[in-house]
Amino acid sequence: MRIVVCVKTNYDLQMVRVKGREPVLEALPYKVGDLEKNALEAALQLREGGLECTIVALTVAEANAKVKETMKEALALAADEAVVVNDPALAATDQAALAAAIAKAIEHTGGADLVLFGEGSTDNYSGLVGSRVAELLGLPQIGYARSIAVADGAVTVERSMDDMIETLQAPLPAAVTVVSEINEPRVATLMNIMKAGKKPLTELSLADLGLDAGAAAPQKAVLSNLAEEQDRKHIIIEGDAATAAAGLVDALVKEGVLGR
Amino acid sequence: MEKVDVIVVGGGLAGLSAAYGLAQAGLEVMVLERGDYPGAKNVTGGRLYTSVVRDLYPELWEGAPFERAVTREAISMLADGRMATFEIAAEEFGGRRPQSFTVVRAKLDQYLAERTGEAGGMVIPKMKVDALLTEGGSEASGAGGGPGASGADGGPGASGRVIGIRAGEDEIGADVVVVAEGVLGLLSSEAGLRERPAAADTALGYKEVIELPASVIEDRWHLNPGEGAAQLFMGSVTKGMMGGAFLYTNRESISLGIVVGMEQLRSRPDELESWQLLDELKTSPAVAPLIKGGEVIEYSAHAVAEGGIAKVPRLLGDGYVMVGDAAGLSLNALITVRGMDFAIASGYHAAQAIAAAKAAGDTSAAGLAGYERALRESFVLKDLQTAAKVPALLENQRLFTHYPEAVTKLMADIFTIGPGPTEKLSKTGFGGVRRSFLNLATAKDALSFRKI
Amino acid sequence: MADILVYSDKPQVARELAFKGREFAAELGLGLSAAALGPESAAAAADLGGHGADRVFVSDDAALEGLPTDVVAEALAQIAQEAGAEYVLLGSTRRGKELAGRLAQKLGAGAVTDVNAMAVKDGALVGWRYALGGATVAEERIDTPVKLFAVMPKTFEVGAPQAGAGEVVTPALSLSPSRVTVGGRTPREGESVDLAAAPLILGVGRGFAKREDLDLGRELAAALGAELACTKSLADFEWLPEDRIVGLSGAKTKPDLYLSVGVSGQVQHTVGISQAKIIAAVNTDKEAPIFQLADYGIVGDLYQVVPALMEKLKSL
Ligand SMILES: Cc1cc2nc3c(=O)[nH]c(=O)nc-3n(C[C@H](O)[C@H](O)[C@H](O)COP(=O)(O)OP(=O)(O)OC[C@H]3O[C@@H](n4cnc5c(N)ncnc54)[C@H](O)[C@@H]3O)c2cc1C
Ligand SMILES: Cc1cc2nc3c(=O)[nH]c(=O)nc-3n(C[C@H](O)[C@H](O)[C@H](O)COP(=O)(O)OP(=O)(O)OC[C@H]3O[C@@H](n4cnc5c(N)ncnc54)[C@H](O)[C@@H]3O)c2cc1C
Ligand SMILES: Nc1ncnc2c1ncn2[C@@H]1O[C@H](COP(=O)(O)O)[C@@H](O)[C@H]1O
Repeated sequence: MRIVVCVKTNYDLQMVRVKGREPVLEALPYKVGDLEKNALEAALQLREGGLECTIVALTVAEANAKVKETMKEALALAADEAVVVNDPALAATDQAALAAAIAKAIEHTGGADLVLFGEGSTDNYSGLVGSRVAELLGLPQIGYARSIAVADGAVTVERSMDDMIETLQAPLPAAVTVVSEINEPRVATLMNIMKAGKKPLTELSLADLGLDAGAAAPQKAVLSNLAEEQDRKHIIIEGDAATAAAGLVDALVKEGVLGR
Repeated sequence: MEKVDVIVVGGGLAGLSAAYGLAQAGLEVMVLERGDYPGAKNVTGGRLYTSVVRDLYPELWEGAPFERAVTREAISMLADGRMATFEIAAEEFGGRRPQSFTVVRAKLDQYLAERTGEAGGMVIPKMKVDALLTEGGSEASGAGGGPGASGADGGPGASGRVIGIRAGEDEIGADVVVVAEGVLGLLSSEAGLRERPAAADTALGYKEVIELPASVIEDRWHLNPGEGAAQLFMGSVTKGMMGGAFLYTNRESISLGIVVGMEQLRSRPDELESWQLLDELKTSPAVAPLIKGGEVIEYSAHAVAEGGIAKVPRLLGDGYVMVGDAAGLSLNALITVRGMDFAIASGYHAAQAIAAAKAAGDTSAAGLAGYERALRESFVLKDLQTAAKVPALLENQRLFTHYPEAVTKLMADIFTIGPGPTEKLSKTGFGGVRRSFLNLATAKDALSFRKI
Repeated sequence: MADILVYSDKPQVARELAFKGREFAAELGLGLSAAALGPESAAAAADLGGHGADRVFVSDDAALEGLPTDVVAEALAQIAQEAGAEYVLLGSTRRGKELAGRLAQKLGAGAVTDVNAMAVKDGALVGWRYALGGATVAEERIDTPVKLFAVMPKTFEVGAPQAGAGEVVTPALSLSPSRVTVGGRTPREGESVDLAAAPLILGVGRGFAKREDLDLGRELAAALGAELACTKSLADFEWLPEDRIVGLSGAKTKPDLYLSVGVSGQVQHTVGISQAKIIAAVNTDKEAPIFQLADYGIVGDLYQVVPALMEKLKSL
């Protein structure tokens, strides 16, 4: 069985700095998205639970020049092999184009019995890519999984919705997106990290997938993208716990937000 | 225990330079760096003397992310609200092969890490090494009994052979461990490879990166595009303590920092911190205009080794070599602060020696001895030897109080026209010079300065 | 005539979309359609008509039982076609987001989810949402013929229903049953909180070392008269229910006071508090990002500071 985990490689968003109100994105380190680490871990746990499978980590590089390096993280964590779709045309793209590239790449590299996604990517968090890919590949889809079991050609998922917990089942092949509470991704061991460098990594361009550069064109225009204006006082109240606590309460009373 | 050829502990310039060379030599090398990425935790004033390392890895420096070639050097003396600056702009500093560049470590270290990765090395960030493993199963034979001031004599290590590392639950073996953990030397002292640096041999650096547009930098320091300035501040900035402040211009930011003797700072009754000193400098009328309009985008504190050659530990032993700050290879000669060039050169020579040792199948101290020989023949140990007297000299308080006071007073007098008739300079300024510079203490100083 | 089509399985969200959609439709010179699907669609239809829809497409096709996403997507695609929809507005709930991707794909539509504000600009609807994990707010326009926005619940207000319901249309849908089968559904229990409306909020995070220690937080919340909220990490541990999460995937709050204790202040959390009038923070790490957003901060151990706060509050 082939499990494809769709992984977004992303800036380390904790490192994004705002200058004026503009985000400064140059020279940021990249990492595998947080929720995709949960998805990789979920795949690994399926295997550890006795499911015979090959785990493929697939990414579409969005202007990440270090994508192959970043994907070693996915290889060290769980994947047996990596597929990287890399094309300059993907520098400014959107979820529809990403989904198209992902769907084609899956078809192109041996298909999938189970496609795993994060519920959202760390930067966009649109939650669109998973369902778009499912639609493109004609797969049944179950979103927001907090547990996954595979047996008898079907996947059974307990999923966490806004107002209820649902147990759903779909025949394979299927697409599943996961939420962070599904598991606590383990930390890769050093030897696994060393071995990651030697695992197979296939790099494909859009042309390799039979797509032209136009396929990466976004359907949306970002008219502006600025940090919210914040005007905060930044007062640190010094002293031991009692002094500081008293100082804080006094300040908050003075602000009129306490003790009214 | 699973095993690789070489483990490098610490992904600073020393560790990465070693790893790059080792990867190029076709060895299986793993660099473990505790920071979020290489360079994340590395503090440096900001100037790399490329003149001395250029030929070591010639292909590396072409595309290196240098900030500006330093073409202007300045020293400013501060005292009593006055600042006297001596500046030199020299064509020979720049040109086709500039002698030094300002650098931002986050960029430079990541660049080296990438090159290392391309050469086949594995750089693993966010991975803290918890112990060096030594033969006989003991993790650390305990400090003490270390080589201490024994100098770089290259005998076998104080403890058994270093056989690998432990990081969290992971234990990994290696034929050679390159100890590149930087100035504090926690792991190596724990494992008995060296002594912990004493406060007296350590200074405390505190640095801010202040963002300014390139055009503003070029205007303020009179620079052509691509050119940079280095400025040192001595005197009241350290309140009489050993040390000084530095300013380097990067492409679109300046690095402004201060280095003060750890022991002197710690023993003050007023709990003064180095950042407070820097704050005072920043708000002083002489310096405030230099940084006006800039935004602090980063600040960091770090120790600097100042022990000089006397405090260089044994550089290698069975299964390990020490490089960069971890081996005390840095030199603070007040006006020239060097460490990055030593880190790169020591990493380079370590890689060559380890590759040779591996090829010969002997990674004992004897097999690795080529490392120390190479350092002795290179500028690294030679320059440290030449500067052997510097640390003692820096303890001379007059450098940080008396001279700045005298110099700024003289300059001020020259330019002062007071109310009423102006006195003859020989009476005021030059008289002061005579009193300040021609006395027994300064004569002794002059003698000791001649030794460097 | 081209239309705006609104749909949500949540009646309240559907009303919000219809009511605001009415305004947008008028501004853009479009009609407003709504879809009501599933067994309760008839009642919903009347409601949506009352809230502004010119036409309500109603279907209780057997395949829509339980509102499986794939079938709902297919039904809406067919309805959008019939309605000549230029815009589709959905609710940005989990179900709504899952639906958005499938439906957008079927319609060849560009889609924006998690929209928290919308407006007409240069003759087109644009939407605002957080980007870069919450570090910025992006204003986005969709350039495909059909455009899909999934809007966060409570983004729009609902006015009083009008008499004169819209026309009810029963489209001829061709649907096949879902391939996803339902094994069970358990409603989430616990009292639900409305953090968005709370004037005082105490936010707790992983600075609390153990689940039991949260009692300290509960006591402080009680002493302050504040609603207790948490970071996603604590909800992931199931120490507190998910509806207490503040941030990108939780509530967006606008209290007078947000006091955070043991919260690092990563951007995915702070997007939920940036509208607070006053932000105060207690954290042991003086470099914690929360202090960059705080008006008042105490660098200290919550296990000492929280009891001290309660002691001081007694004197008020
Ligand atoms: C304020 C200041 C100004 C300076 N100015 C200059 C200058 O202008 N020019 C110059 O040439 N030199 C300067 N230096 C000196 C120079 O920065 C150092 O000599 C140089 O950085 C040494 O490089 P290194 O690789 O040996 O050590 P470092 O750069 O300190 O690297 C050590 C690395 O090891 C990592 N590490 C440590 N322990 C562990 C562990 N247990 N597990 C994993 N990783 C670990 C650290 O995170 C770090 O990345 C200055 C230093 C300071 C502090
Ligand atoms: C797609 C996505 C969406 C997300 N959405 C959300 C969201 O909606 N809401 C949300 O909250 N998070 C969200 N997150 C998670 C978010 O990125 C952070 O992981 C989370 O907010 C961190 O929670 P924390 O502050 O409790 O924990 P930590 O980051 O671990 O911080 C704990 C803090 O407590 C401090 N501390 C420790 N001990 C003490 C003590 N004794 N006293 C005082 N302070 C102490 C520490 O210094 C630290 O700063 C999301 C993440 C992703 C990837
Ligand atoms: N560029 C990408 N390459 C591979 N997978 C992606 C990419 N972008 C998004 N995904 C997957 O789609 C999920 C949802 O992303 P998003 O729609 O951006 O919120 C992510 O968690 C990933 O699993």
